[in-house]
Amino acid sequence: MADSNILLRVENLCKEFPVDTDFISKRRGTARSVHAVNNVSFDIRAGETFGLVGESGCGKSTTGRCIMRLTEPTSGHVYFEGKDVAAMNKKELKELRRNMQFVFQDPYASLNPRMTIGEIVSEPLVIHDMMPNKDERIEFVRGLLDVVGLNPEHINRYPHEFSGGQRQRVGIARAFALRPKLIICDEPVSALDVSIQAQVLNLLSDLQQEYGTAYLFIAHDLSVVQHISDRVAVMYLGNMMEYSDWKTLYAEPCHPYTQSLLSAVPIPDPDIQASRNRIILRGDPPSPIDPPSGCPFHTRCPIAQARCSQEKPELREVLPGHYCACHFAEPNPIKESSIEL
Amino acid sequence: MFGFGLKKRNQQDLRDTPIPEGHHLLEVNDLKMYFHTQDGVVKAVNGVSYTLDRGETLGVVGESGSGKSVTSLTIMGLIDMPPGHVEGGDVLYRGKSLIGMSEEEMESIRGNDIAMIFQDPMTSLNPVYTIGRQLSEGMRLHKGLSKKEALDRSVELLRMVGIPNPEQRVKEYPHEFSGGMRQRVMIAMALACDPDILIADEPTTALDVTIQAQIIELMQEMQQKNGNAIIMITHDLGVVADIADKIMVMYAGSPVEFGTRDEIFYNPIHPYTWGLNRSIPEPVMDEKHPLTPIKGNPPSLVDLPEGCSFAPRCPYATDLCRSTVPPVHTTKTGHYAKCHYCNDAEFVAANAPETSRTRAGRTEAQKGGEA
Repeated sequence: MADSNILLRVENLCKEFPVDTDFISKRRGTARSVHAVNNVSFDIRAGETFGLVGESGCGKSTTGRCIMRLTEPTSGHVYFEGKDVAAMNKKELKELRRNMQFVFQDPYASLNPRMTIGEIVSEPLVIHDMMPNKDERIEFVRGLLDVVGLNPEHINRYPHEFSGGQRQRVGIARAFALRPKLIICDEPVSALDVSIQAQVLNLLSDLQQEYGTAYLFIAHDLSVVQHISDRVAVMYLGNMMEYSDWKTLYAEPCHPYTQSLLSAVPIPDPDIQASRNRIILRGDPPSPIDPPSGCPFHTRCPIAQARCSQEKPELREVLPGHYCACHFAEPNPIKESSIEL
Repeated sequence: MFGFGLKKRNQQDLRDTPIPEGHHLLEVNDLKMYFHTQDGVVKAVNGVSYTLDRGETLGVVGESGSGKSVTSLTIMGLIDMPPGHVEGGDVLYRGKSLIGMSEEEMESIRGNDIAMIFQDPMTSLNPVYTIGRQLSEGMRLHKGLSKKEALDRSVELLRMVGIPNPEQRVKEYPHEFSGGMRQRVMIAMALACDPDILIADEPTTALDVTIQAQIIELMQEMQQKNGNAIIMITHDLGVVADIADKIMVMYAGSPVEFGTRDEIFYNPIHPYTWGLNRSIPEPVMDEKHPLTPIKGNPPSLVDLPEGCSFAPRCPYATDLCRSTVPPVHTTKTGHYAKCHYCNDAEFVAANAPETSRTRAGRTEAQKGGEA
């Protein structure tokens, strides 16, 4: 896609974690590794929300961390505004991180318990030397706390004085302090109760509208991703299986994995739930240390053929803007009463 | 725990006694469980009531800290007392009170008549014993089976819950099983003694959706086969829509609404239930609507607000709500809610969220109007 609007482009990103690090297996050449991310490519446009979903261990978090180089990718390229992140030195990385911030999953572990929330939120400003005047900085942080729905009077309180949802708001305020162009949200609401989850999702949407920030939204909850994303990608065992705009992906998924994943999500409406035709996958996802040959999904796929175990399907464009990695992919909507509302 | 073979073969199980006239399989009446801590009295369970019959599934939903787990732990007698203390109410199993029971009597019920599946399959199995030994434990204790008999039955149970190659797997240790497999083992263990009531405390929360679908299907299959009752504790409204016959919605230690699945999903009358409904992203395909979250945070159980405990977060709260604890309104069908205004049909009709049924009704009415 020749789109001038592209903010981030990920090309053939791979990440392997070595398992056998001992001398003998290295010498023998038997050292195994976990193929966490395997040839993943996608792009994010400025101001959009790109959802990344998949089951645990599918490499979605590793992808997010590799983009920011919190984890070093094994191979592949990440271009942020045309510059290759993988080749950046320390100084360039610091510059990059001014425009790319991270919101972590666990609001209990991602805030330093010995810093006040004022210090936590202003730390990025100090590091990047954005606001040398302390009074100005404090005023700015107070404003920011107000924007994320916290009481600015609480600027001198410590993280333990806040609930989970409030802490996640602190994490979001910290990510927004530098007005970045891209924020990678790694499961930002999965540790929160539903009523609090809705508050945080609304906050993220409001901030996006105000500042035009793009999000890479990583989550395992398909309905949350559907709600917030413009485009959605599905990963399985380190591979990108399908990606497209959210409407197409949810209404007309092509890949049998996406179809079964969507049909496994229970819908909180008994009538719809009872009328759905559900696909229940058998077995567990295979180990990423020893991934299956051919298509990574063929061991659990309801429509697998002999070809699937030999030949790995490439990600191809089945419809404009709709990519799918399956030999037999064709637009095949799951019939659900929810679609015909 | 090591008292294998203690059971006398002639001892009668409580589940073989018939349910007395006018009683249900399980009756919880106004149960109150408080914890006396240094910070004050934590009112973890504050007036929970419900009934359950064989073959039924009760869904208990609520946010963390709403007392849904403590309620079932109290039924199982798994709360340390002190600091816990039953301040009032009773739990009747087949007409017999579980609260006043001695530890010895309770031991013959726990894992035998009433069994439990815990949330985290990673920590609820003992890592140093084989799966077979852990499965056998309950059967040897409660049924007086020999080691050999119990192991054979374990293999059978593993096969029943869909674990491939059970003869081999029974000799393996928990770390050799995946999360979904471990949860299957937990279900096999809970079903080992063919219990009357199976309490499942967030059994699928730690699992992926595809595995969650497998586990829920398995629990439903097992229920059809054995006719046991299930108490499903979860925070996921999708899961209860799938499995429950009756639903209890809990908030700050008390049930705020209780009714059949259809009543809770299509005719909810409590503002908290409405709030929960509006907080979940809708699976709609046309336009995205912003969510309507419940504002604020749940109250501390040590210092509950005066009046209705939901009043500080309730958009419809009045002075009456803030000063007086609402009474329980019960309808003819047994649908009850704790709210001052829930029997005001006009108020409910004006504020209840849209459901797929009301929407379908409206489109039909529109069509009728056009024609």
